[in-house]
Parts: sequence; C-alpha cells; structure tokens
Amino acid sequence: MNKQSRHETWFRMDNSGKIFPEVSSHRETNVFRVAISLTEKIDNVLLQQTVDTILARYPMFKVKLKKGLFWSYFDYNSKPFHVEELKHYVCGEISPKKNNGYLFRVMYRNTDIIIEMFHSLADGAGVIKFLKALTYEYLVLVGKDIKPDNLVPTKNQRPSMEEYEDANTKFYDKKNKKHVPEKRAYRIKGSPLSEDLTGIISGTMSTSRMIRLARENKMTITEYFAALMMYTIYITQIQYRGQIKSNQAPVKIFVPVNLRKHFPSNTLRNFSNFVKVGMVMTEDDISFEDLKIFVKEQFEKGMTKSELIRKMSENVKFEKNIFLRFTPYFLKKYALKIGYNMLGMKLNTMSLTNIGKVDFPESMQPFVFDVTAAVYAGKFNTVNCSIMSYQDRLKISFTRSIVETTIEREFFRHFTDLGIDVEIESNYVEEY
Amino acid sequence: MKYCDKCKITIDTFNSYCPLCQQVLEGEPSPDLIEKYPEYVSANRKIYPITKKIIMFVTIVSMIILLIINLASYNGNLWSLIPIGSIFFFWILISVGIFSRQNIAFRFVFLTFLLIGLLILIDEASLQIGWSYNYLMPILLSVCNLAISGIILIKRIDYRDYILYLLTIAILSLVPIILVFTGIITIVWPAITAFALAIFILLFIIFFFPKSIKDEIKKRFHA
Repeated sequence: MNKQSRHETWFRMDNSGKIFPEVSSHRETNVFRVAISLTEKIDNVLLQQTVDTILARYPMFKVKLKKGLFWSYFDYNSKPFHVEELKHYVCGEISPKKNNGYLFRVMYRNTDIIIEMFHSLADGAGVIKFLKALTYEYLVLVGKDIKPDNLVPTKNQRPSMEEYEDANTKFYDKKNKKHVPEKRAYRIKGSPLSEDLTGIISGTMSTSRMIRLARENKMTITEYFAALMMYTIYITQIQYRGQIKSNQAPVKIFVPVNLRKHFPSNTLRNFSNFVKVGMVMTEDDISFEDLKIFVKEQFEKGMTKSELIRKMSENVKFEKNIFLRFTPYFLKKYALKIGYNMLGMKLNTMSLTNIGKVDFPESMQPFVFDVTAAVYAGKFNTVNCSIMSYQDRLKISFTRSIVETTIEREFFRHFTDLGIDVEIESNYVEEY
Repeated sequence: MKYCDKCKITIDTFNSYCPLCQQVLEGEPSPDLIEKYPEYVSANRKIYPITKKIIMFVTIVSMIILLIINLASYNGNLWSLIPIGSIFFFWILISVGIFSRQNIAFRFVFLTFLLIGLLILIDEASLQIGWSYNYLMPILLSVCNLAISGIILIKRIDYRDYILYLLTIAILSLVPIILVFTGIITIVWPAITAFALAIFILLFIIFFFPKSIKDEIKKRFHA
C-alpha cells in the first residue's frame, strides 16, 4: 500500500453498522459466514497471498475499529492479516482486540474457503463480492486459466468511492420516518448448548426443483421458506399450547432485504433492510395454506418502496438527531446498548437470510462446487437460518444455540415428504 | 453416503446417527470423505495459577492488617496509606504496565498519573513539605513526554495513535504552571522547565507532523 493512502484511509461507519460494536458480545456475536467449496484442496500459502492482494484492492476491509469522541470509526490497519485453519466454532466472536484488530476472518479446510465477517463492516451482498474476488484471485494464483467476465472485480481495478458510501443516508427521507412500535417476539425455546458452541445443520436441495415448488405456490423462494418456517415453529413449539403466556407473543421472522436491488447503489457496506412477517399463533388450527397467503401479503406490504424508505429513515433519524450526535461516545454507547437490548434483539424470533444465487464466470464454474452461508445464533434468536445457492445446489443452513433439532427436522422432512432429495451436513455439536 | 430412513435424507459423515432425529444411519461413508466441520477442541480457559492466588491473598490480608494496626494505634497520622498505596501501585504496574494489551502510550500516561498520585499521597501522609508536586511531578511528566516521543521516534510505530496522547500530555504539562500561578507550587524552576519541554514537543509536532494532527482530529471528532 502506498504511503499516501496509509495516512488517509479511514472510514466512517455506516448507519446500520454503528450499532453492532456496542451490542456484540461473546454470545451475541453479530458475525456471519459465507463459505465456498472448490474442487481442489486449498493451499494455505497461496490463500494467504491472495488475501494480501485482495486487501490492497479493498482498503475497506483492511481496517480496525477505533473510538472517536462522538462515533467510532474504521481506521487503517497496518498489521498483517493471517488466514487460519477452520476451527469448530461457527460465527464465533470477532473481538477487536484479537486477530490483529481485523473484523473478519478467512479460514480454510480441505477444499473450503470460509469468510466470517463482523456485521459492522459489510452485509451479505458486500461479502459475496469480496468472496468472489478472493476466489477469482486464488484460482488465478493456483494457475487456472479463467476470465472475470465482468462478474468478478479483479485486483487491478481501482477501488471506487462508490464502494464505501453509506447508502442509507443517501436515500433518507425526512418526511417518511415514522416509528412504528413493535411487540416483543416469541422466542424459540430449548436447552442451551454449552457456552461457546453453535450447531450448524445445512441441507442441500435442487435449486430448479425449489423454484418450481415456489412457482407452483405462486410465491418466491424466500416467501415459501418464510411461510414454511413459521409453520414449522408453529407445529413444533406452539400448537395446542396457545394458553401458555410465552406462546402468545407473535412469531416474527426477520427477512433481510438487499436494498441494492431496490435502490441504485454499489456499496459494499451495510445496505440492507428487512421485511418482517409476524403473527400470533395461539389458535390450534392454523394450516400451511393459511400461512402462505398471510406471508405473501406481508411481503407485498413490506417491500413497497415507501415502506423500505421509512424503515431506513427510522434508523438514520437517530444518527441525525442533533442531541444524540453530540453526545460523547462513551455515553452514547450505553444508550445504544440499553435501547438495543430492550428492543432490537427481542423483536425477532428468527432471522431468515436469503443471500441468493451466486454467479461465477463460465470459466470459473468447473472449479467451484458449492457455497454455504450461516448467521450466528444467540441467546434470544436461538435458531437462525440462511440460504445461498450456486448452480443447482441450494443450501439452507440452520445455526442454533440450543441442543434440540426439531425445527430443522420438521423443516427438512417437509421437503422429503414432497419427494425432494435433501443432503444434510452437520457439525455434530451435540457430541461435545 | 449414509441414509436416514426416518427423515429420508442423505448425509456423508463418520458419525453413526442422524443429526435431525438422532436415529442410526444406514450405509457407509464415502471412501475419500473428510468431515465438513472439524472436531471441537476446547479453547484454553482462564486458569488462575495457585501462586497468583497465594500472592493475591497475602497482599489483601497484609493490607487489612496494616490498616487495622494503624487505626488501633491512631495518633492523627494515616501512615498505613503509604504501604497500602504502594502495594496497589505495584499490582497496577504489573497488570497495566506488563500484561495489558493497551497501547504503550496509554499505559505510560496512566501509570505516570498514578505514580504522581501515589507520591502526593506519601508526601501528604509523611512530612507534608511538598516535594512531590514541587519537584517530582514536573520531572515525571517530562520523563513521560520524552519516553513517549522516544518510542514514537525509535520504534516507528504508527504515530497517528500516539499523537493524541502526546498532545494530551503536552497540554497536561501545563498543570505545574497553573499550579505555580495559583501558588500551590512554591519552587518554580522545575515547573518552568517541564513547561518549556512540553512547548518544545508541541512545536515539534506542529512543525513536523502537521497533516496527521489535522487528520487525527477530523477522525476523532467527526459527528
């Protein structure tokens, strides 16, 4: 890296990223993972070289977290980054004090490259770009003859300012920022796994078959999964137990929406919002068909432009608040923490992230076999789910902080009952 | 590939049961299988060695005994604060000065102020002639100034992090001067010297690293 940028690279945190450093802990890590399986064994020396070149291309990731008087920010990190061998932990805490201050990890195992990212730094779509670039450069370094085909940014491109912008503040609308109060969500119960463990169970299905299934129901894949997820939670946790007080809270599925698809922006940083489907499920006879209609409706309502802008502005409003802005950081920190613990975390039963389809240039496709995504599971959101697909492999990964696997079981059995093949992977966390 | 006939799923693993329903799997794993996820290896836990426990115990007990003896034979002099303060300082010196992962400049500043506090305490608890703030405070502050600038110059560490501390301490070197004007400090020359040194360092920074200060302030104070 040249001398000039050494002094000047620092980044303001984006609007959604500001909250995460304050509310993250050992248990609520706010870390998510994307992984890619190649067809050949990973060479860690070459991978290290690749990451070094990539970090020069993406200065946004070569940062550490620093505290200012009013806000924390990302400062240029002059220490070296090290790739690691994959450990057992799934989305474990990324402490700013360890890992040389870097807020992400790159790991390898057998044929897999795994990136775990702290949510402050980027969101799913941003990391996918990073992962693609990393895979491309790695394969080039290994000696494959591949072309980027405009699908993958290469190391020789100049980083553009567009990649770092905080798009949330760009589309902020003063007039449309009404706060809608929400009720605390239902929490999936179970016996917790011992302190630092997270279970992961993924199922791979055929993408084309899934698309056909969703089409048959006149839904998108995400909608179908959201409806099924609600139904699964309902039959495994709530049905016939509606009289219990804790079961009367609404089941809310938090579905992140990639706003790059709705608003013109090329940023790598957090630019996502959410759609939430919530329903009190105390009745004894809710059917999957009812839920499909309900979820579809809620998605349509939540995905309108004005609703998305409202949610975005609701967050930005806090940042723009003149009073909060000039409160010193060490006080603001507590305000954010208390606010989030009281509200933020407990408003969702589960998050269902659909990262979507990953495209690679045709010349790269023979070398890429599979992809996986995973989100951390915490104390309140005990089971989370993420979906990612590549070619005809659609992979649904459940991460959990509880021992029970009933939700996963019922979820996948729904598909096997329909005659769809499901291939499972698990880290067998209950063994330990 | 193994198969669970209850869940009707396939899975490739060396484990014998289905992760979904815990039932026994059928079939054999692929011949070239490597488990997708590694086994759990327990991370190193926090263990307090017995020696540390003993030392902690002995220090706390001796502090309490000192205080009790002092109070039992009280004659208007809290002499026990001197050893107790020193013991405290010793522990902080070890934990912050050696084991802390904070950056060096911060540790220097912190320990300097702590030491000044301790010395003032000793001064007050003993003869009360003001040697601590008259002589030692300005000297210690100057030493701290020099030490930090020395580290920055010799070690070539990323000075952006250190400049703020340096500025802080240069400004805080004004403290003796202020104390001179308020009449607390009676002997003037050490205070003046420390002040001169602080000014010198300040000027040095302003002349030789002007840009980075501007950047640093912009970074730290953006709202």
